Amino acid sequence: MHEILNDPIDVTVAFTDNRVLPRAMRWNEREYKIDQVNLVHTAREGAKRIFYFSVSDAANYFKLKLDPEILEWRLVELYTDG
Amino acid sequence: MDNTARIILHIDMNSYFASVEQQANPFLRGKPIGITGKNQERSVVATASIEAKALGVKTAMSTWEAKKVCPSIILWPGDPEKYSDIMHRFNAIYESFTPNVEPFSVDESFLDITEEAEDYFGATCMAQAIRSRLYEELGEHITASIGIAPNKLMAKLACETVKPNGLTVVRPHEILDLLDRSELEDLCGIGPRIKERLNALGIANFKQLREFPRENLEREFHSYGTWLHEAALGRVASAPLLFKEGLGVVTSQQEAKSYGHSYTLPQNTSDPRVLKRYLFGLADKVGWRMRRDGVVARRVTAFVRFGDPSTSLGTGFSSHGEQRTFQEPTADGMHLFQIAWKILEPISLVDVRLVGLSTSILSGDPTQPSLFKKERNMTSVLSALDELQHRYGSGIWKRGATLQTEFKSRSSGFHFDHEI
Ligand SMILES: [Mg+2]
Repeated sequence: MHEILNDPIDVTVAFTDNRVLPRAMRWNEREYKIDQVNLVHTAREGAKRIFYFSVSDAANYFKLKLDPEILEWRLVELYTDG
Repeated sequence: MDNTARIILHIDMNSYFASVEQQANPFLRGKPIGITGKNQERSVVATASIEAKALGVKTAMSTWEAKKVCPSIILWPGDPEKYSDIMHRFNAIYESFTPNVEPFSVDESFLDITEEAEDYFGATCMAQAIRSRLYEELGEHITASIGIAPNKLMAKLACETVKPNGLTVVRPHEILDLLDRSELEDLCGIGPRIKERLNALGIANFKQLREFPRENLEREFHSYGTWLHEAALGRVASAPLLFKEGLGVVTSQQEAKSYGHSYTLPQNTSDPRVLKRYLFGLADKVGWRMRRDGVVARRVTAFVRFGDPSTSLGTGFSSHGEQRTFQEPTADGMHLFQIAWKILEPISLVDVRLVGLSTSILSGDPTQPSLFKKERNMTSVLSALDELQHRYGSGIWKRGATLQTEFKSRSSGFHFDHEI
């Protein structure tokens, strides 16, 4: 199932080799461990540059949005296999 | 220039939009997926994944038909911003190998690596190096086919021969062989209509095309006949000629005789700075469409509409428009804007509700290849892709002045926006 969302979330990140790697996230009072960061891309929102992280765990694909100006993370897409 | 002395790479991403989605989302990998517009029911498949193609799904098929052909297909709404960002990234990778990078469509670029590679061995090594950079920086699921040849036309044709993930090298003495292994329509520049006309002349392959008297081709196709003859010999190297089949399309665009956009402002304004920004945005968009179609103009018309008919005495909106004709044809957004602003600036711009700009007296641009051929063909079927092209275009030709202006987007583009 593919859902489009816009939910604020808490994210634990690692800073490695000049990269930001989301490691875990908390959404809907549940903790998800992130296994893979599959793709990172950016987009413009007005004058701002926004970062998107396409990540996954064993059963879900998540698209996370980071607004680097206010350091806010949101879950914007969820796809669950099957 | 002796075209056999050049070494050109053509790099084409395989099932580009679908591959990007499969890279982002592991649950789409290995599955038939189709990238669609936002409104899936009324949309078409802009890109089918390699798996979907294997099951019979074709580009530009309606989603309804795709479902019928391949019931297990996963239809996925396209994300133009993502494809555009990734496109800039792979072109940046190419630019680290040579400054001579020419993006040809959203997922294809030409690289002239004559100096950097020195010979075909060097070119092959460079192609492998580019491929591993793509792998490292974009991921293993975004793959490309690469063609290497002495000119763009042949590099693109070589690239077509092995997909996905192919690497095809065609050295000067192998060109005729490549042509003879290819179908007429494989060549960029020969579309279905041209192919039919060639068939009617008894020409079914490149060998027959090569042997067909050149004068007869020219009688049938005029200058395009010369192009066909040279192409069958693998001798067409230059970009301006390359995409003139093109010709048919360009001609129909010229028949349209004008390109234009108008924009109804979110609020009426008397501020010349605001108007200037909108006018610039319109000029850029018109210029982009003209460059897309490979045409230039010698006339610019600019116009404004004032006020609101419900509060004015007239029977409608009053308006003002004028045109300027000039000697040096252009498709440059900045030029078009400057000319249009010279027209509007002297007018008393009070309570303006709409601003518009159009270009006419068009001719084919001999100096510029018509870019985005593939996308141009797609626009008629997919508005999402149209939006992507707009981003792509403005990404390449973006100018500071419009950054302040945000056009409200709709699925088809501008808000209250009219192509003229
Ligand atoms: Mg491609």
